[in-house]
Amino acid sequence: MISTVVLTTGLTLLLIGLWGILRHRNILRIVIAFSLIGTGTHIVIVAIGYVENGTAAIIDRGLSAAEAPMRAVDPIPSALTVTAIVIGLAVTAIMLAFAIRLYEAKKTLSIDAFTESKW
Amino acid sequence: MIRRAGIALAITLFGLMFAGLVLHHVERRTLPPLGKRYVELVPQELGAANVVTGILLTYRGFDTLGEVAVLFMVAAGVGLVLDKRGRRNEGQRRGTRSPPRQASEIVRTGAQILLPLLAIFAAYIIMHGHLSAGGGFQGGAVLASGLVLSLFADPQQRLDQRFLSRTESAAGVLFVLVGVAGLLFAGGFLDSRVLPLGQFGAFFSAGSIPVLSVLLGIKVGCELSVIIDRFRT
Amino acid sequence: MLELIGSLVILVGAAFNFSAGLGMLRMPDAYTRMQAGTKASTLGNALVLMGIACLHPEWTLKLLLVIYFVLMTNPISSHALARAAYRSQVPMTPQATVDALRDAREQSRGEA
Repeated sequence: MISTVVLTTGLTLLLIGLWGILRHRNILRIVIAFSLIGTGTHIVIVAIGYVENGTAAIIDRGLSAAEAPMRAVDPIPSALTVTAIVIGLAVTAIMLAFAIRLYEAKKTLSIDAFTESKW
Repeated sequence: MIRRAGIALAITLFGLMFAGLVLHHVERRTLPPLGKRYVELVPQELGAANVVTGILLTYRGFDTLGEVAVLFMVAAGVGLVLDKRGRRNEGQRRGTRSPPRQASEIVRTGAQILLPLLAIFAAYIIMHGHLSAGGGFQGGAVLASGLVLSLFADPQQRLDQRFLSRTESAAGVLFVLVGVAGLLFAGGFLDSRVLPLGQFGAFFSAGSIPVLSVLLGIKVGCELSVIIDRFRT
Repeated sequence: MLELIGSLVILVGAAFNFSAGLGMLRMPDAYTRMQAGTKASTLGNALVLMGIACLHPEWTLKLLLVIYFVLMTNPISSHALARAAYRSQVPMTPQATVDALRDAREQSRGEA
């Protein structure tokens, strides 16, 4: 139940981000939409690893080492998500750097002005 | 008009695909076999309480090394893309420079209160990577945000870029050296058992994982600061 | 009983967060959008955290620290953003009639 709700939220964010990329013409809004897609994907990855009635895979007062294999949530998707978040940040930084250079080249932020690469 | 219809069609098809994914999703009842092995192994072999950090820094340590390399390449790439504009515009800007602007008093006072808190918080997150939720990347991001706050409070501040890049390179080299030490003295590359495992749940435990977390935190913090500093005119 | 109060407080906080999002969509220009986003979402966050404190009373001190942190950072960052937008001469909506910052600056320049 919980993981279905979280999965739906993540996939909805993915859809909204995708719609944002296709619809907007302003470069900065497209970058924000890419960031939304990234966030949605991270939520989907974490939601896939959920175990029913599970808790976080950290062994402390709430979860002893003996009962961890029964009750813990899958730790591998969480580890992959940590990596993915950092890479998403790096890609956003590069996209923003490109947006700055594009603005300096044509003095406008609309991608309709950049038609040199189109057929 | 065609573009709108195309967008609607694409979103509808993706939406149907995702709806199919959600409908066929069945929640797990037990851990998959690999996850179960990791959850059992990490407290026993590595002595770390945080299973995710144990995986990230030992069993999947090579992926973490690759991610560190990606961050370094992004810092270099941003520096390459944004470099010439600083040099090109400096000639123009000298003549028409507006009077040096100072940050508003609210931001300066807030930065004075928040910067020590942020520094302590970043250190706490980094050092508790193996005990509770946290780790090198998260703490490094908080460190970089502290630096951004200090940039807000004093816009004329010149960040010492050479110090930052040397620190981050040194941290990266030390990271690889600890990994190679694992190759020489323990099971394999980035094996964390080079240092004693210590008592479970204590501050200095889990082998070389705290050392690796600190190095990662320093590296990520410096790197993000350099990336953000490049975006200033 | 305490759980019911906590859940109600969380619900009110979520409603404030929703109104923050709605305000950011519907407000006419950048400054009013920033005001709607910051004020309503800070209060929404604080209410949600207080609701969690009602549900888990043993975490009250930590949650109060987090509320303090949110109260310190959100308004300061929004102030810095608004000041930067004013400096970049982002246009105000024509419905605005008062520019207090310009009047204050002219007054201080007149006195100096």
